[in-house]
Amino acid sequence: MRFARWLRVNSEHYLLMAAQRDVATRYGQPCRQAREGLKGWFFLRLFTPIYRRLPWRLRAFVLQSMPGSHRQTWAARARQPLGPAV
Amino acid sequence: MAPRAIVVGGGAGGIGAAGAYKGAQPDGEVIVFTEYEDAAYSPCGIPYVHGKEIPNFEALFLATKEAYAEQGIDIRYETRVASLDLEAATVSLDGQGEVGYDRLILATGFEYADPGVPGTDLDGLYYVKNIRRAMEWDKVLDDVKVAVVVEATPLGLEMVTALAHRGIETHVIDHRPWALSDLADPEIVQPVEDSWTEMGVKMHYGVTLEAFVGDGRIRTVRTSAGELPADLAVICTDKAPNTALGTAAGLKTGPTGGFIVDNRMRTSADGVFACGDCVEVPLGVGNLPVQGLSGSHAYSQGKVAGINAGGGRREYQPVYVPWGMVAGLWMIGGVAYGETVAEALGIPYVMGTAQGISRARYYPGVKSLKVKLLAEPASLRLIGAQMVGQEGIKERADFLAMAVKTGITIEDLAYMENVYSPPIGALNEPIALAAQNLLATL
Repeated sequence: MRFARWLRVNSEHYLLMAAQRDVATRYGQPCRQAREGLKGWFFLRLFTPIYRRLPWRLRAFVLQSMPGSHRQTWAARARQPLGPAV
Repeated sequence: MAPRAIVVGGGAGGIGAAGAYKGAQPDGEVIVFTEYEDAAYSPCGIPYVHGKEIPNFEALFLATKEAYAEQGIDIRYETRVASLDLEAATVSLDGQGEVGYDRLILATGFEYADPGVPGTDLDGLYYVKNIRRAMEWDKVLDDVKVAVVVEATPLGLEMVTALAHRGIETHVIDHRPWALSDLADPEIVQPVEDSWTEMGVKMHYGVTLEAFVGDGRIRTVRTSAGELPADLAVICTDKAPNTALGTAAGLKTGPTGGFIVDNRMRTSADGVFACGDCVEVPLGVGNLPVQGLSGSHAYSQGKVAGINAGGGRREYQPVYVPWGMVAGLWMIGGVAYGETVAEALGIPYVMGTAQGISRARYYPGVKSLKVKLLAEPASLRLIGAQMVGQEGIKERADFLAMAVKTGITIEDLAYMENVYSPPIGALNEPIALAAQNLLATL
């Protein structure tokens, strides 16, 4: 579990950093971000670009494969609206 | 002998579980252990007492201690559970021996992530959680001239607003680029930050906290951009799940750090349930585990845990997380994914926005309301939304959460019916306008 936790914490942090930069640029907003060290370099310069190049299906597969509550038994998705009851 | 459930933690999850267990098992015994002086109050209201919107802390208590005793819920205050023995089915109490159980429910909540810098032992650092400490701190605030709020998290936004409302010179520092940037999009938060500027708040983004500096008591907060004077530092770091008791006993946790549970709030050990901020549950769109939701999530999870522990059957469903809050002079809110989080995960989406109004344009008190909708490109089913306005956010967030859950499409929303009544609804519903604008881009 420790690897899954480490990966979640760091990938979430750095993927968000990259997305914040891009979305802020899109809206012409300032985006001051704290400086990051070697780990930041790895996740921002290597991990994030590779992650972004992978097809969403592959990324989703990897995300789903990680251990966690989402892999336990959960109620089925609510049904689509079926139209008037009467 | 009547079956006994032990609940560890007296917050929303724990009290919800205790009450539900008693309902499912009327002859059963339920004991709640809490290390605090009180149980069953709304810590979410604390910032609003500090900000003088709520007149007193007493209003935050859900019920009296006597009321719980009358219901057969035995709450042991200031009693710390030191360890669990899942094989022997006992809990060990600090200085009070062991107590056996038939069912165990962990509702141990969260702890604020450690700032991890020197000076955390200084006086003048406030962690908003315990109502008795909040009562003491509220008196301290009368003499505070300058406060620094560490991190612009949901609590951070509330405390910044409360302190500024109280006339305290307020600074907020965060290594992230804007307030609530792990959840909310920048243009959604911009009006909040503009109103903070009007209220005199000083924002310092992209700065790293380096130390709390002082001599016994805080004097300054040192950051990567310099030192800020401070009579008080309010620590609003992320909510880390408090799972130490359970993990020491062998319970499994997931990538968020919260206990792994199923839809009946069962953990990896037989007869042991968990609920609230100490667990992770799946987000219904995307199926990713999330942790650290709201008090309403903790309470409903507690009820599910209590019913199942009591021999009943109730299933909790994946969450869609409608959220909303007042920050500065604005309300912000949303559901599931915003643009920034969708970009971060790389979820494909199409997007539409609209600037609408909350009442008829001619009705006094009409407020602006911006809606942003995200949808899955192929099916146009809604996957998220973000909003900013000065009224009508909560109702729309609740509605849009159900829309995401049931797979409602942008086309459904574009042609939705809406209440039109001048004091409470505009001719054109902003959600519908945003959906129409999205369709126009396709």
